[in-house]
Amino acid sequence: MHSSISSSDDVAAPHGYRASDGVVDDTHAIHRRETASDRPGVAQPVPKRPVPAQPWSRIFVGMLVMLVLMLGGWEWYWRDFGVTPSIRNTDALWAIQRRRIDAGEGDATLIVASSRLFFDLQLDVWEKLDGKRPIQLAFEGTTPLPFLEDLAADPKFTGRVLLGIAPEVFFGAYGRHGKATKYTHDESPSQRAGQWLSMHLIEPVFAFYDPDYALPAVIKRLPWPDRPGAPTRLDVRKLSVTESDRNTHLWDKIESDAQYRALMRKVWEQSFAPSPNDPTPEEKDKKRDEQIERTVKAIAMLRARGVKVLLVREPSGGPYLEFDDRLFPRATSWDVLVTRSGAPGIHFQDYPELSGEWNLPEWSHMSYVDAQRFTAALHAIVVRDFWPPENAPQAAN
Amino acid sequence: MVFNSLTFVVFFALVLGIHSLPLPWKARKVNLLIASYLFYSAWNPPFVILLWISTVVDWYAAQGLVKAKREAARHAWMLLSVVANLGMLAYFKYGQFFVDNFTVLMASIGVAWQPAHYDIVLPVGISFYTFATLSYTLDVYLRRALPARNFLDYALFVTFFPHLVAGPIMRPTELVPQFEQPRRATGDQIRFGLALMTIGLFNKVVLADSFLANAAERVYDSDKIPGTLDAWIGTLAFSGQIFCDFAGYSTTAIGAALCLGFAMPDNFRFPYAAVGFSDFWRRWHITLSSWLRDYLYIPLGGNRHGPFRTYAALMMTMLLGGLWHGASWTFVAWGGLHGLYLAAERVLRARFSNYRPGPLMFVALGLLTYMLINLTWVFFRAKTFGKAWDVLRGMLGLNVAAKPILTTYYLVTVAFIVVCIVLAHWFMRQRTLESLVTRTPAVVVSIVWALMAFTIVIAQGSGNAFIYFQF
Repeated sequence: MHSSISSSDDVAAPHGYRASDGVVDDTHAIHRRETASDRPGVAQPVPKRPVPAQPWSRIFVGMLVMLVLMLGGWEWYWRDFGVTPSIRNTDALWAIQRRRIDAGEGDATLIVASSRLFFDLQLDVWEKLDGKRPIQLAFEGTTPLPFLEDLAADPKFTGRVLLGIAPEVFFGAYGRHGKATKYTHDESPSQRAGQWLSMHLIEPVFAFYDPDYALPAVIKRLPWPDRPGAPTRLDVRKLSVTESDRNTHLWDKIESDAQYRALMRKVWEQSFAPSPNDPTPEEKDKKRDEQIERTVKAIAMLRARGVKVLLVREPSGGPYLEFDDRLFPRATSWDVLVTRSGAPGIHFQDYPELSGEWNLPEWSHMSYVDAQRFTAALHAIVVRDFWPPENAPQAAN
Repeated sequence: MVFNSLTFVVFFALVLGIHSLPLPWKARKVNLLIASYLFYSAWNPPFVILLWISTVVDWYAAQGLVKAKREAARHAWMLLSVVANLGMLAYFKYGQFFVDNFTVLMASIGVAWQPAHYDIVLPVGISFYTFATLSYTLDVYLRRALPARNFLDYALFVTFFPHLVAGPIMRPTELVPQFEQPRRATGDQIRFGLALMTIGLFNKVVLADSFLANAAERVYDSDKIPGTLDAWIGTLAFSGQIFCDFAGYSTTAIGAALCLGFAMPDNFRFPYAAVGFSDFWRRWHITLSSWLRDYLYIPLGGNRHGPFRTYAALMMTMLLGGLWHGASWTFVAWGGLHGLYLAAERVLRARFSNYRPGPLMFVALGLLTYMLINLTWVFFRAKTFGKAWDVLRGMLGLNVAAKPILTTYYLVTVAFIVVCIVLAHWFMRQRTLESLVTRTPAVVVSIVWALMAFTIVIAQGSGNAFIYFQF
């Protein structure tokens, strides 16, 4: 006899459910449950899903209490470490800023860079001086070239670009967040909603909600013994604090905590020493030339439709500056890029007001206070030499 | 939307809240149907149209099957359903694969043909819902079931969000009857359902994504040649990842359905404690393996037409099962290897039919099964045959000049987690989760539940999609 999926057959009520009096009425289904694999070639019946006989209300309340206590302890631990809630810098957050161009802000000033202009250019200061708040599209540890190319292909963008050049990342084509443009184009409604919920309900409240304090990151940082041939490398730790429009500055713990600062310097020093995984000089030069070639092309596309592009080589200091110069000497990288692209450039070493003493706690990024000073100094140069106010005589673009 | 996302937390709370309101049963079903379409369209709204096509075609095909007077007409209605569903699957999932292979074939006979590049986005879960709707018409065609009386119940069977995009692949006879009578979960069902969802998300967010995925990526997605230790740890990591990811999804889905008052079948039964490959397939992705058995292996002849037809049907089923997982020859190789294993086991069982292993040999056979399954995962995980051979050579100790890839952290965490998974599977081999929970003191259940929930939160998963979404 055929079973049926209509209600005419006796298949409607699955057995094994807990009865309302709390008694499990099918102990067999608790201990041994048949599946479709036990019933070849027949219509499969309604499954059984019994609830184990337990005081579930007490279990649930106990679980909630313990969960709240554990989360409270975890939050307290990280706050005690010096962490305060901040917005997570994710591809989804970047996408929100990128979409502003499509939403009527195509004439905006964009910061397209890696971490140095990301941390060192303060949007509040720039806005106060310029009258308009730039859109921050920089990403740490990531060459901005894919972002520039994306903008070059977008006719809606007609504004101005401050293109930050951090030699190691830019000419070395590092791409930690290089997929942010793809994410922006592919982002699903669900991801957008998730980002909104996270940045409004979770991130402003919980300090522990930061990738640096995620469980796997914390366990990975334990002092694991080195495996011969595969030594443990220190991962970059939390460096910055980000706001909802991606205005970002160096975390003050790097200034105030000598141990943490030393740790961050140690992280950078890992890159300064030669490694067997380094590209050969030929590979490095090839990559640099490819980056320059692509940048020149993107800048040409942008300038052809009137977009102003200004290259900026931000300050670095100490061993990091030596490393930058050794890795990609100015004459074969920055100078070539400026010449070939035809775009104007600001190299910090060419401007006394930018080449002075900056507080660079871990040699690569400025303290918050100096980032504000730097922003003002940079803005003054930009307005004076390159992008004068609209009624002033035309300058280079 | 994915289960491991904030969006789903809010969505599920709203759906559960509305489902619990004192509304007429039909209104609550409409709520579930709309919610399921929202759930699906949260990825890519236009693809809901495909879901509608699949739903409507099979509804009318099943009606036609019942009304048809002649066998030829029944065949025609059945074929309409098969062609429509497999046609959609072929176009969206295998279009580029077919074109690429045709190009290679043409090139091999000297015809230079360069087709336009397909730029087709794979609709999430298409392999799952096309199989679910196909089972509806095929059950009616095979006279195993009558069609649903109510389009709303049928549409909800196809679309019901817990199983929609990654299974368990439901049969209509399992779910449609549950929609026919009003049901609301009891408090205990909701709490146990939430506990199941926590277990599922713990598997996915903590074990699969946070601790196992990276080790597998470092071995399989790197251009480095792995040595013996790295190849084995990378592969073991993937074996744990794929289980925790997929079984985690199934458990979460079962828990979500239970919170709404519906029962869904087990999809996994501690597969890494399998002894032999037929046992493995009774424990791994049960709803797919039984679907392939009922609608492919048995219609191909099964074991009723002599050894040759049996082995041919077995191999064909496993090869197509491999291809179901992805449009790549590496998946076909994975399925083929399982087919060979099953065939070899069949031969050995016939040859040694009186053999009964002792306890130690039983465990040894179980571990041998697990090891051989790990070899198949190499083809499942590797993106190219070149990479698969690199890893296999490494596992066999042939990459003597290989440099270490994984640091101690990965070696230790992967080994620890995978050993725990295998031990847990052996412990649970003849048990159900429910039987274990029944016998565990309530305070221990509470502590374990809280610890799992806590680690899910502090692992801060990034909402990675489940692996099986791409299938």
